[in-house]
Amino acid sequence: MRRKTVFAILSLLVLMPVITQAAGPTAAALAFTCAGCHGTDGSSVGPSSPSIAQMDPEVFIDAMQAYKADKSNSTIMNRIAKGYSDEQIKGMAWFFAKQKLRLQPQQHDPQLARLGAELHDKYCEKCHEDGGRPGDAGTLAGQWMPYLEYAMADYIAGKRPYPRKMQRKVDAAIKDQGDKATSALIHYYGSQH
Amino acid sequence: MKNISARPLVWFIFSAFFLLCSTPTQSTESGVGLLLGEAIPPGFDPETGKRIIPNQRCMKCHGDENEKTDTRDDGSIVDIYVEPHKLKDSVHGKQDCTNCHVTVTRVPHREAPEVVVGCVECHRQTWLDHKDDPDGKHERLGVVIEQIDSFMTSVHARPNTRDQSSTNATCYDCHDAHNIGSLGSHQRAEHRLENPEVCGACHRKQLSEYRESDHGKAVLEKGDSESAVCSDCHTTHDIDSPEGGSVMLTITENCGSCHEDAQKSYRSSYHGQVNKLGYTHSAKCFDCHGGHKVRSVDDPTSTIHLDNRLETCNKCHEDAPEGFLGFHAHGHGNDFEKYPGIWIVTKFMQLLIIGVLGFFWVHVILWFYREYQDRKAGKSFAHPHPGEDTVYVRRFTATWRWIHLLFAVSTMILVLSGTTLLFSHTAWAGIVMTMLGGPEVEAILHRTAATIWIGVFLVHFIIAMSNIVRNRDTFRWFGPSSMVPNMQDLQDVGAMFSWFFGRRERPNFDRFTYWQKFDYWAPFWGAAVIGFSGIMLFAPKLTAAFLPGWVFNIATIVHAEEALLATMFLFTVHFFNSHFRPDRFPMSTIMFTGAVPLEEFKFEHRLEYERLKASGELEKCLIKPPSEAMEKGSRALSVVLILAGLGLLTLVFIGYLTMPS
Ligand code: HEC
Ligand code: HEC
Repeated sequence: MRRKTVFAILSLLVLMPVITQAAGPTAAALAFTCAGCHGTDGSSVGPSSPSIAQMDPEVFIDAMQAYKADKSNSTIMNRIAKGYSDEQIKGMAWFFAKQKLRLQPQQHDPQLARLGAELHDKYCEKCHEDGGRPGDAGTLAGQWMPYLEYAMADYIAGKRPYPRKMQRKVDAAIKDQGDKATSALIHYYGSQH
Repeated sequence: MKNISARPLVWFIFSAFFLLCSTPTQSTESGVGLLLGEAIPPGFDPETGKRIIPNQRCMKCHGDENEKTDTRDDGSIVDIYVEPHKLKDSVHGKQDCTNCHVTVTRVPHREAPEVVVGCVECHRQTWLDHKDDPDGKHERLGVVIEQIDSFMTSVHARPNTRDQSSTNATCYDCHDAHNIGSLGSHQRAEHRLENPEVCGACHRKQLSEYRESDHGKAVLEKGDSESAVCSDCHTTHDIDSPEGGSVMLTITENCGSCHEDAQKSYRSSYHGQVNKLGYTHSAKCFDCHGGHKVRSVDDPTSTIHLDNRLETCNKCHEDAPEGFLGFHAHGHGNDFEKYPGIWIVTKFMQLLIIGVLGFFWVHVILWFYREYQDRKAGKSFAHPHPGEDTVYVRRFTATWRWIHLLFAVSTMILVLSGTTLLFSHTAWAGIVMTMLGGPEVEAILHRTAATIWIGVFLVHFIIAMSNIVRNRDTFRWFGPSSMVPNMQDLQDVGAMFSWFFGRRERPNFDRFTYWQKFDYWAPFWGAAVIGFSGIMLFAPKLTAAFLPGWVFNIATIVHAEEALLATMFLFTVHFFNSHFRPDRFPMSTIMFTGAVPLEEFKFEHRLEYERLKASGELEKCLIKPPSEAMEKGSRALSVVLILAGLGLLTLVFIGYLTMPS
C-alpha cells in the first residue's frame, strides 16, 4: 500500500510538467510520420508525393493550412493536415526547413528542358529564384515531375488558387509557347538535381 | 503485492518516456525559443522570429531595369523600379529595405504591400540614440530633425481637407528615399533640379507658370542649378500657404539670397521698409515681378515690362498715372551709370551732412574745452540761487515760446515715426512700430506731426513778417534784432575760433549769435527740402500727374538724409549750444520761461545789454524772476524734451551705424 502511494506520487511528479505545459511530441517526432510518403527527412522518392525537405517554412505552413481548410485540391493531404494543430504544423515547418533536400535524377527531354529554362527565366525566376531552388516561393527545381504536373494542372483548372500575381506569368508563358509551355517548364525543373 | 505495485510502475515508465519525447516550447532569455524541440530555421531572425529579407531579394524585381513597372491587382500600373546604383550611393544605401518597408514581411508579396514608411519615427529615434556619439557620424541627422520639426508644423503635415485620413504631403512624396545623397553629392544636385517637378506633381498650376518664367527656363530647360527652384523661395520644410503674412515675409526675404542688390535697394524704399518691419501690405517682390511667372524686364510678357508695368502698379495704386513708370523701384545712389540723378543727389546730401556736422562738431568740442577752462578760471557769470531775488530780462515772448515747443514736439514725433521706417533693419524699429500700432497708424502720426510742423512754420513766418511790416520804419534787415546773417556774424565766427584757441577773450554778442541764427535758418532749408519731398511722397498720384516718377527716388533720399541731418544736428549741436556747454549744463530753461537772469544776459549778450542800457530801453526789458511754478514746470519740460531728444539720437545712431551698406 505504501509502495503504491509512493509510485503514484512519483509518477504524478514526473507527469507534472507534462500536464501543466500540455505539450505533445516534438516536431521531429511528428515529422517522422510523414516519411512514409515524403521520404526520410522530407526528400521524397517520388513520384507523386513532393519533396518537402528544405521547404520554405512559411510556404509549408501556407500549404498545410490550405489543405486543412480544404482550399487546395489534394488527394490525401487535406485529411492528414487536419490532424495537426497550428503549433505542430509550424514545428514541422521548422523541422523540414532545416533538412537537406536530396534530389534524384528524373527522366526528361533536354530540348524541352532548355525551352523551359528560357520560359522560367522570363516568367518565373523573379519569384522562384535560382531556377526554382527551395526558396520563399516553394521548391520547383528537382521536384518530382508528376507532382508538378498535378500542381500546374490544378492551377490552370482553377482547382488550386494561384499565388498572387503568378497567374499572369503562367498565362504569359502559355501564350508564348502554347501547350508546350507547362511541360517545358516541368522538364526544366525535372532536369535539375 | 506484485500485482499491486505493477500498475504504478507502468505509469511511471510511460510518463518518463513521454517526458523525454515531448519538449514543449521553451523561451530563451531573449528572442524566439524552441518550438516543439525545433529551433527557428535559418533565414529567420532568432530575436524577432521574422523573416530576413535580403535587399538583393527585393532588387530581383525592383532593380530590374527591363521591367520598371508592375500591374496592380486592380489592373493599374505601378512604378516599382529602384535604381540599384542610386540606392547604393544613397545615405540609406546600407539599410535593409525592410527597415523602412516594415509592412513587407514576405516575398513574393502575398498581399499588395502597403507603402507606409515611418521616416519620422526612425530618424528621431536614431538621433536620440546617436546624437552624442563621439564620432559625430550622425551630426547631419540634427538638420534632418530640424527639418522634421518644421515639416510637422507645415501645411504639408496637416490633414488634407478633402480626405482627412491623410496629410497633404509626406516625406516620400518629395524625397526619393532610395536616392538621398549626402551633402555635396550628385543626388542632391539632381534632387535640386527635380524640385519643380516634384512640387509640381501636386501644384500643377504653379509649375506651369514657373515653367514659363526665367527661373523655370533656366532650371528645367538649361539644367542651371543656380537658378531658383521652389524651395529656394518657399523653404524646404517650413511650408505654408502664401496667404499667410509670415510666409510672404519669408518668401520676400528669400529672394534676397540670390538677388542681394535688388533686395538692398528694395529695403531702402518704402515698400521694402514696411515689409522689413513685418507688414505685408506694401509691395513685395512677387507683387510686381509676378511670383512664379517672374520674367526679365525686357520680356514683353513680363509684369514689369514698360508696357505692362502701369497695370502692375495699378494693382495697389489704383489709377496710377503714367508718371509712375519713371519710378526706379530699385534705384539707389551707388551707381552713377545707371542712376546719375540719384547718385548726384545722394552724394550732395552726404557731403552736406558731413560738412555741417563736421563743422559744428568741431565747434562743439573746441567750445567745450575753452568754456570749461574759462569757467574753472572763474571767467564766467554765476547762476542765481533759487529764491534769490534776481533781476531777469525778458528774452522771448509767449508766442515764440509756444512756437518753439510745438516745433520741438512735432519734430520729435516726426523723427521717431520716420526713422522707424528708415531704420527698419534694426530691432528697435520693429518694437517701436508695434507700439505705434503699425505702419498705417505710423503714417497718420507722421503726417499729423508734419502738418503741425508746417503749420507752426507758416504761423511763425506770418508773425515774423507782420512784425517786420509793422516796424518797417525802424526795422533794419541787418540790424541786431534781425535774424538775417550779416558781416558781423562772419567776424564772430572768426572771433569764437580765436577764443577757442586761447588767442583772445570770449567775444561779445548782440541779440542773436551766429549759431542761433544757424539754428533758426536751418529749419527754413529743412522745411523746404523735407516738406516738399514729404508732400510728394504723401500724394504720389498727384505728384506723378505732374512730375516724372524718378522724383520719388530723389524725394525719398532727400527726405531721409535731410531729416537725419536735422536730427543729428538738433540733438547734438543745438543741445550742446543751448544746454550742455559748461555755462549752461545741464540745461537752460530760457526758451520755456522766456526770461534770462540779468547776469547771464550781460555775459551772453553783452552788446545787446550795452546797447539797451545806452538807449535806456533796458529798464523796459527787466522783469521779476519767473514764478516758482513756471521755473519748475520749465525744468521738467526741459528734462523731458532733452531726454526724449537723446533717446531719439541713440536710436538714430544705432540705425545709422548698423545700416547695411
Ligand atoms: C499518404 C501519403 C502522405 C503522407 C503520410 C503525408 N503526405 Fe504530404 N503529401 C502527400 C501528397 C500526395 C501530396 C500532394 C498533394 C496531395 O495530393 O494531397 C502531399 C503534399 C504535401 C505538402 C505540400 C508540398 C508542396 O510543395 O506544396 C506538404 C507541405 C506536405 N505534404 C506535408 C506533409 C506532412 C507534414 C506530413 C506528415 C505529417 C505529410 N505530408 C504526410 C502525401 C502524403
Ligand atoms: C509573382 C510570383 C510568382 C511567379 C511570377 C510565379 N510563381 Fe509560382 N508560386 C509562387 C508562390 C508564392 C508559390 C508558393 C505557393 C503558395 O504560396 O501558394 C508558387 C508556387 C508554384 C507552384 C507550386 C509548387 C508546389 O510546391 O506546390 C508551381 C508549380 C509554380 N509556382 C510554378 C510557377 C511557374 C511555372 C511560374 C512561371 C510561369 C511561376 N510559378 C511564376 C509565386 C510565383
